[in-house]
Amino acid sequence: MRVDGQEVEPAGTILDAVLALGISLPHLCKDDNLPAIGACRTCLVEADGRVVAACHTPAAGVEEVLTASERAVRLRRAVLRLTARMHGPRPDVEGGPRSAELWAAYGEHGLEQPAYPRRARDTFDTSSPFFHFDEQACILCGRCVAACQGLQHIGAIGIAGTGTHARVTPGAGVAFAASICTACGSCVAACPTHALRPAPSSRDGVRFERATEG
Amino acid sequence: METKTWTTCPFCGVGCGIVVHTRDGRIAWVDDDPANLSSRGMLCVKGRFGTTFVQHPDRLTTPLIRRGGEFVPATWDEALDLIAERLPAFRGRFGSFASAKATNEDAFVQQKFVRLIMGTNNIDHCTRLCHSPSVEAMLDQLGSGATSNSYSDYEEASCLVLVGCDPGSNHPVIASRMRKAVDEFGTRLVVVNPKRIDMAERADIFLQPLPGTDVALFNGMARAILDEGLEDRAFIAGRTEGFEAWRAAVLERTVEEYAAVCGVGAAELREAARLYAAPPPRRGLPPGERPGSCLAWGMGITQHAHGTDNARALINLALLTGQLGRPGCGISPLRGQNNVQGCGDAGCIPDSLPGYQPYAGDVAAIFEEAWGAGIPREPGIKATDMVERIAAGDIRAMYIVGENPLLSEPNLAHAEALFRQLDFLVVQDLFLHETAQLADVVLPACSFAEKDGTFTNSERRVQRVRPAIPPVGASRPDWAIIADLARRMAPGAGIDPRQFAYGSAAEVFAEMARLTPQLRGISYERLDREGGIQWPCPNPDHPGTRFLYADRFPRGLGKFVPVRQAEPAAELPDSAYPLVLNTGRVLYHWHGGTITRRVQALVEQMPEVPVAIHPDDAAKLGIDEGVEVVVRSRRGRLTGKAVITDAVREGSVFVPFVKLQGSAANFLTNNAYDEPSRIPEYKVCAVRVEKKRPRPVGAIGAPPTASRGR
Repeated sequence: MRVDGQEVEPAGTILDAVLALGISLPHLCKDDNLPAIGACRTCLVEADGRVVAACHTPAAGVEEVLTASERAVRLRRAVLRLTARMHGPRPDVEGGPRSAELWAAYGEHGLEQPAYPRRARDTFDTSSPFFHFDEQACILCGRCVAACQGLQHIGAIGIAGTGTHARVTPGAGVAFAASICTACGSCVAACPTHALRPAPSSRDGVRFERATEG
Repeated sequence: METKTWTTCPFCGVGCGIVVHTRDGRIAWVDDDPANLSSRGMLCVKGRFGTTFVQHPDRLTTPLIRRGGEFVPATWDEALDLIAERLPAFRGRFGSFASAKATNEDAFVQQKFVRLIMGTNNIDHCTRLCHSPSVEAMLDQLGSGATSNSYSDYEEASCLVLVGCDPGSNHPVIASRMRKAVDEFGTRLVVVNPKRIDMAERADIFLQPLPGTDVALFNGMARAILDEGLEDRAFIAGRTEGFEAWRAAVLERTVEEYAAVCGVGAAELREAARLYAAPPPRRGLPPGERPGSCLAWGMGITQHAHGTDNARALINLALLTGQLGRPGCGISPLRGQNNVQGCGDAGCIPDSLPGYQPYAGDVAAIFEEAWGAGIPREPGIKATDMVERIAAGDIRAMYIVGENPLLSEPNLAHAEALFRQLDFLVVQDLFLHETAQLADVVLPACSFAEKDGTFTNSERRVQRVRPAIPPVGASRPDWAIIADLARRMAPGAGIDPRQFAYGSAAEVFAEMARLTPQLRGISYERLDREGGIQWPCPNPDHPGTRFLYADRFPRGLGKFVPVRQAEPAAELPDSAYPLVLNTGRVLYHWHGGTITRRVQALVEQMPEVPVAIHPDDAAKLGIDEGVEVVVRSRRGRLTGKAVITDAVREGSVFVPFVKLQGSAANFLTNNAYDEPSRIPEYKVCAVRVEKKRPRPVGAIGAPPTASRGR
């Protein structure tokens, strides 16, 4: 198999082959840790002339992959524009380690960081001392839900509603602190935007009163 | 500057891989490590959000020497010279606690110091307070004191039996792997616990026995297996001894009689026995493979005045059904601390040398040749006895590394009175905790995030610990401090100081591997290249061992040992103290809380000691959810917050042993001990609970904070 002209062993998915070659390709809903979801469509590539999502297309049988063809880039840019419509402006706080993936994808595709008005889904759940959920930044990729159920087998969060009403939630009208969430943070680690992010109090460098013995 | 360091979580015994991200020398984020073979990309709240304690302002940054009742900062030379001058006078009346939170290298150097320089085997660690009965029983009946299976066996088992453990709180990533087995492969689940733990929600059978009736419960399961002919006769005939005598003891009562003693249904007891002995195959079990059952247990088995009998009864069950030595089965004493397996492996126990090797004969001679001097060959004093024997003058000086016995011992008021009688106490730790406050010299040690080393987790996997940040203050790695002290004391003890001239943790590990057959094939070079390796690993080409006992037990045949139900506990409820106190742990704190009290988010999550009480008892006592209650035993009292839940049996209360706002369960617990292992009976004592009298007008309490009390 060839990816952008480079020979590579066709093992796993097309995305695996692309990343093995060190080629940069957005994959906002695919976590290294988890099986493919195929929700975000930001990893579209051309494979033997067809446009496919690299994350869940097996590499076996594919001969020629183009990640940077005019058509693939145009489609990814369109997908990213649609993605940008889903969230608010970049929050002025730090997220988890993968939370820059969204902004990197915009940058690589020559898109300005979007500055759309606040949208209706704007829960800001600060009930957990460990992490916050800023729904405005959520792109509904589903990585957090996959991490909670598929990795940790807790199932504290899900996507409720459909279409423009879809949202990530620990239960209707329930805050994280009152849910069965155990604050393992796998969702925070998986989030490719700043939507789920460590709470300031869980960060180092925030001094608090000295603990006393006794 | 930003860095990433691949290392191992410092909390429970699961041993998850973590990637510590730092920014400008401070920990900024802790990520999971999908490549880690034990955790496979999972973490829990403590590993992910709980490591900020390493840079808490309370960290000790310099040695402290007590002068005229006050601690005065000192240089390393002053502190170590003082210890080197004082300690020799206490030879023969000296004891040492090692730390199951420190590395294998720290533990190895410490036991070498105690044996070689102080000439005693009086060295022990917190395994005495957690799994010593399991180790005692396993060594006697099987010949090895470790978990026989791997975590991957939980996912390949057809039945999981969880006894007296709460993996959802205490081993969260093992719990995730067990939930995966149940959810994805249809693995059957049996939960035995006096408290309805989270995992019970998924259980096929949940048994909630009366406290202290475990032997009757497991004998009842054995009787049910015998009644239905589900025992593994080929295994019993080929791999075990003592079956007939044991069988006769079990047949003394019927399943119904056993069930009545435990307060559980006989039908459920039989079903649990059937599931363990012959579970239906899980989804995806290769055709022709016998469905396996894993047996996992925790402190609910061991922390009783008959803890060793409880462990024996479980091991008898595994031998009876042949659920050992294949994939998807095995026995797992779940380890509470990151390196409790390794601390024992490294020889920090009074009755054997590193690798559980006996003092007798050729083995001791190998050590004496390597170390160039004689070592004591009499078993030392166990940890709980060291404390009790302070009173008799048998122990006058102690060197305590990374433990806080004045939170972890039972009956704390009694323990503190004993520690105050010591003539000389050295404490080496991260924080000036309760025990350190009584010390003559306090030495600041590095945390896991500041040193090289290895931890060995519950599945016998030796994994690397790597420095992510520079040492805090003047702190030094434990092994380096003790080696420095040993070099100062060596000439006076007739020992060659070069015995302690280690240049790195890798050099310490190399010596330990050379002297410990089960680790001989492991090196830093291999660990860095391959990731964690499971012992036994006898040579550099050996891949490590996923499960033990495939062909034989280390002692040859597995030994059935008859056990009979004794009195449920040393102290049972009466009219003055009508409730049974059960202690344990919660997800959001770790053990006594010396570490997790210094993680702001964990304290916010759980700021007060929760006292779980049954709704009927609460109604009788007029206690409402969330009110402050006082729990009293004959030995002490604590104040906590009532959590009303039918997860506990009527007549029981559950209090975690973390100390919060001055309240700790171990002020209440009973210093009654299991005879063979000398573990205290933390799990049962008699208490009474009452509503706290209202505070004086004008006092304002802290606002209530969400606490899920899990």
